[in-house]
Amino acid sequence: MKIIIVGAGEVGRHLCQQLSTENHEVVLIDRDAEHIRRIERELNILGIEGNGASPSVLEEAGISKADLFIAVTDMDEVNLISCIMAKEYGVERLVARVRNQEYISLNSPLSEHRLGIDLVINPDQVMAQEIVRISEISEAFEMVDFAHGEVVLLGYRIKPENPVCGLTLAQLRDLQGLYHFLVVAIVREGQTIIPKGSDIIQPEDRIYIVVRKKNISATEKLLNLASSAPKKVFIIGGGRVGFSLAEELEDKGVDVYIIEIDAKRCEFLAEKLDRAVVLNFDGLEANELIAEGIDQADLVVAVTGGDTTNILASLLAKHHGAKKSITRISRPDFIPLLGSLGIDVALSARLVAANMILRFVRRGGVLSGALLLGGEAEVLEYYVSSQWPYIEKPLKKVKFPEGVIVGAVVRDDEVLIPSGDSVIKAGDRLVMFALKDQSQALEEFINP
Amino acid sequence: MKLGTIGANLGWLLIFLSLTLLFPLGVSLYYGDGNWYCFVEAAFVGLITGGLLAFACVPEEDIGHKEGFAIVGFGWIMSAFLGALPYYFSSAIPSFLDAYFESMSGFTTTGSTILNEVEPLGHGLLFWRALTHWLGGMGIIVLSLAILPILGIGGMQLFQAEMPGPTKDRLAPRIQDTARILWGVYLLFTVLEVALLMLAGMDLFNAVCHAFATLATGGFSTITASVGGFNSPWVDYIVVFFMILAGMNFALHYRLLTGRGRELLKSSELKFYLTVGFGGAFLLTAVNLYHHTYESIVDSFRYSLFQAWSILTTTGFGTADFDKWAPACQFVLVAFMFLGGMAGSTGGGIKNVRILLFLKFTRVHIKKLIHPRAVETLKMDGKKVPADVMQSILAYLSLYLTFLVAAILVVTSQGLDIVTGSTAVIATLNNIGPGLAGVGPVKNFAHVPAVSKMVLILCMVAGRLELYTIAVLLVPEYWKGARLPIWRWKRETH
Repeated sequence: MKIIIVGAGEVGRHLCQQLSTENHEVVLIDRDAEHIRRIERELNILGIEGNGASPSVLEEAGISKADLFIAVTDMDEVNLISCIMAKEYGVERLVARVRNQEYISLNSPLSEHRLGIDLVINPDQVMAQEIVRISEISEAFEMVDFAHGEVVLLGYRIKPENPVCGLTLAQLRDLQGLYHFLVVAIVREGQTIIPKGSDIIQPEDRIYIVVRKKNISATEKLLNLASSAPKKVFIIGGGRVGFSLAEELEDKGVDVYIIEIDAKRCEFLAEKLDRAVVLNFDGLEANELIAEGIDQADLVVAVTGGDTTNILASLLAKHHGAKKSITRISRPDFIPLLGSLGIDVALSARLVAANMILRFVRRGGVLSGALLLGGEAEVLEYYVSSQWPYIEKPLKKVKFPEGVIVGAVVRDDEVLIPSGDSVIKAGDRLVMFALKDQSQALEEFINP
Repeated sequence: MKLGTIGANLGWLLIFLSLTLLFPLGVSLYYGDGNWYCFVEAAFVGLITGGLLAFACVPEEDIGHKEGFAIVGFGWIMSAFLGALPYYFSSAIPSFLDAYFESMSGFTTTGSTILNEVEPLGHGLLFWRALTHWLGGMGIIVLSLAILPILGIGGMQLFQAEMPGPTKDRLAPRIQDTARILWGVYLLFTVLEVALLMLAGMDLFNAVCHAFATLATGGFSTITASVGGFNSPWVDYIVVFFMILAGMNFALHYRLLTGRGRELLKSSELKFYLTVGFGGAFLLTAVNLYHHTYESIVDSFRYSLFQAWSILTTTGFGTADFDKWAPACQFVLVAFMFLGGMAGSTGGGIKNVRILLFLKFTRVHIKKLIHPRAVETLKMDGKKVPADVMQSILAYLSLYLTFLVAAILVVTSQGLDIVTGSTAVIATLNNIGPGLAGVGPVKNFAHVPAVSKMVLILCMVAGRLELYTIAVLLVPEYWKGARLPIWRWKRETH
């Protein structure tokens, strides 16, 4: 597939990296010549210097042969105009990053349908939604929906005192009784493993399980990962993400404390929010935090503009008794450090937005795809066609590529958490988990 | 820098190259020249060494720019080593240094030889000589990028280190596709030239060998008298035509073939190249007539045209002994040696675009002396030339001069006279082939002392890879922080 990406920022770069390793022809357009050259040297893509909304630049990039156009510059206007332009050149699928909701909203004459844009991404909103989802189950650090939200993938860190430590997955399976769940991946010391029945759960592992949504709480109780929705949430940083997060949490009846250093911004927040407490001080002032009862907070979300502030504020809040923290990180370089620092969940706006775009891009036979933490493994959904050679055979007879596991089977609106004896039928939808370097092999296995 | 990545890639390259030895093996068996065993032995050595390297070293991560230099630089040094084995094993060239010289001269498309007579080599080795040209012309690494799947990410680093010219044209988003396009065009022209040469009366074997040597701008012939030995004006003109094509930027050829010919007219480097080449040919024709070197204008034009393009494109084929031409003619030809082909061609030399920009740069500076406050930009084909490109050209020229002077110093200090010594260096550093006097077109490099031969070998590979790639490997700082390979057996016990 030929893909043109406009904007070599964090999202653009991440997309280039992912898509070029999947053997797509990627052309990247950006105004910063030096930046382009650097990415071109490192990745297998063609870089073109220039304005992504200029016809001559687009023609140079070969727009008439492109199958997909992704505009992710910092400027909404450039993204929108270049998408409109690409539409005129006949590109079929368009993706634009638009921050300012006012351009494309229900009452705007420019709806995304009118413009022919298939996917509009607002990174702040996507980020806020992701935080809300994670906050709903307090011990899970990652949660991804599948099959219309019927099944979810949950990530947990196993604490040393948890009794499931030392059990093999086969033993865990015997323990589950009524509530079906499946461990699909283990991240141990930075390495992602697609486990077999003989693998043993060790302290400090991050395990990913697939479970039906209605069975989440029962399963968590069984595995001693019990959780409760947060009652009191501190949001540090009242920017766009902080604001939309506060709005969403307010609607859910959570006590929201939003801390913002800029007095003018606080006035705006106080005007727009109803019940939330808007506090005007620096999120790094411990005395103020304690006075506001940080020790009773179920969750602290640090979403200021600075990575260092976010990291320090999360650590400070946890030190003073907050139960859990979610930290926004824009520099992906920091992510590997955070686990050892004691930060529970790090979210990068880049990864979140890029994941959403990637999910859209892969929407051929692949219905949805998400990267598990650090991008090491992927979740993919496939339809089983009637030509597939393993139809009507139990799963244990299917010779899947190494590092691949079936997490769930969706059959006529019903979701099965499979075991080795489950039989695959034509028309089934398989939710698969695969190590990143195996996704190509899996693709070939499913669509030979 | 990860030596493991370098080792593994070099191993694969060696395996790949060993397989190309099957072609001369086939030729040798077909003609029954009795040298087949030397190709089998060489391929065996190559496969074993390459296999061991590729097996022992675990590649780590992708190829960074540091690894790129080493893979390309050592890749070439190693390829010439493998290429020398058939000559050595067959005892056609008894000294290994000589065999290495011949092999490096082949791969770098120089075309300088240490052989008094080439015919005794036999068909198999002659074909191998021509094939090394052809492989080296568009580039061994570029070829392996085009067909081997192992070099995906990081391929750009390798491409940049091997392709000539200050800026590289990328013809497709994926580097593999770019490499395939370049090799495709190259192959197409080769087939065309073979067909035309056969129409002009050559047999298939000679036509293929000469087409290989022409399009690579190499210069090895299958007969000692070079192209002149065929004594056919048709052959001369066909070879001239394809030399001109080979000295052009292959990206331009691709655009012409895909119906974007207008870009050719816009290229000021192409104008410069054609003007200089044909201008030089006419000048030589006139001077040769004036000095009565040739009596008829037809002869003078035919030999002058051939020699002008043969030297300008750095091919080095001979149809005339220009060592006997008038001094002015010799000077023109030596000046042409420096110019070389266009950027992105298979030719050597400094490359037209660098000279052109250098001249433009000088003009801008003179203008600035007259109008001190004037704002002048350096433009090429209507586009501004970025300052870093110009800087890299100036740095290239300074490195080039340093290299040239140092090499001439070594060679002359070993007793070669100044004309022989300096033209030997100029002819090898620019990948031409013959020089003047003792290394003139009807002479060869056999009598050059051993140390000088080594220097000339270095000149050839440095010239082909445009100095930087080799120069960087000679800087101690480059090797600081090099990490030993993770051996495969160690990893498995881990």
